[in-house]
Amino acid sequence: MSEQVAVGERASVLRVPASLGSLGAISVLVLDLAGQGGLGEAARYRLRLAVDELATNAVIHGYRGRPGEIAVTGEVTADLVVIRLVDRAPRFDPRSRWRRPEPGLPAHARPIGGLGIHLALTSVDEFSYAYLDGRNVCTLAVRR
Amino acid sequence: MPLSISYSSSADTSVIELAGELDASTAGELHEVIEKASARGLGTVEIRMAKVGYMASAGLRSLVFARQKMGEGVEIRVVGANEAVARVIRAAGLDRSVQLIDE
Repeated sequence: MSEQVAVGERASVLRVPASLGSLGAISVLVLDLAGQGGLGEAARYRLRLAVDELATNAVIHGYRGRPGEIAVTGEVTADLVVIRLVDRAPRFDPRSRWRRPEPGLPAHARPIGGLGIHLALTSVDEFSYAYLDGRNVCTLAVRR
Repeated sequence: MPLSISYSSSADTSVIELAGELDASTAGELHEVIEKASARGLGTVEIRMAKVGYMASAGLRSLVFARQKMGEGVEIRVVGANEAVARVIRAAGLDRSVQLIDE
């Protein structure tokens, strides 16, 4: 159900159904691109984690089980590995939900909902969000 | 991506051994095993993670679920997590709810 198209030598596009079953295919693209960009193990993990968390968030809290699509575009530039996630779920800027864990509370007493977004936004070196033509566009980048 | 889970228990310890990747698509299976371990009511639960190559926040939710499910007197040990996985656990402050133990 997924389609990966090579665009030029160092960019690729993947369109997948908005379901948790698509997370694996998205990770394959991210890891492939991380490899092309020569990222070390830690940077590769951080980029994968960030993309995974935001894609999971789009599936669960964005589309909420409704049918839809997530488009993933990747690119290696001179100094960055860049991943762009695009969905048509309701408008959502992840930075608006950024809650840092509250250190005073024991972990099991804290709300855990914002944790994925916290991990995503603290894992990448650059993040930007835009709402364009009814689409959420999240751009994540890790330095090479 | 797949996650394989095995469960065993001794006189006082439940052992949950994980191999593979723990994300939102696989964490549900782990929740079922945590419930099983909780029902056994033993004093220690050991979650072996040396063969977990990747963990997302869904895995953290599983650990929180385990902490909530087990009584306060139950010790939860996460054993052998690699550096990247341990970093995620620490980033969430969960290293104060479960014991992170090197193998």
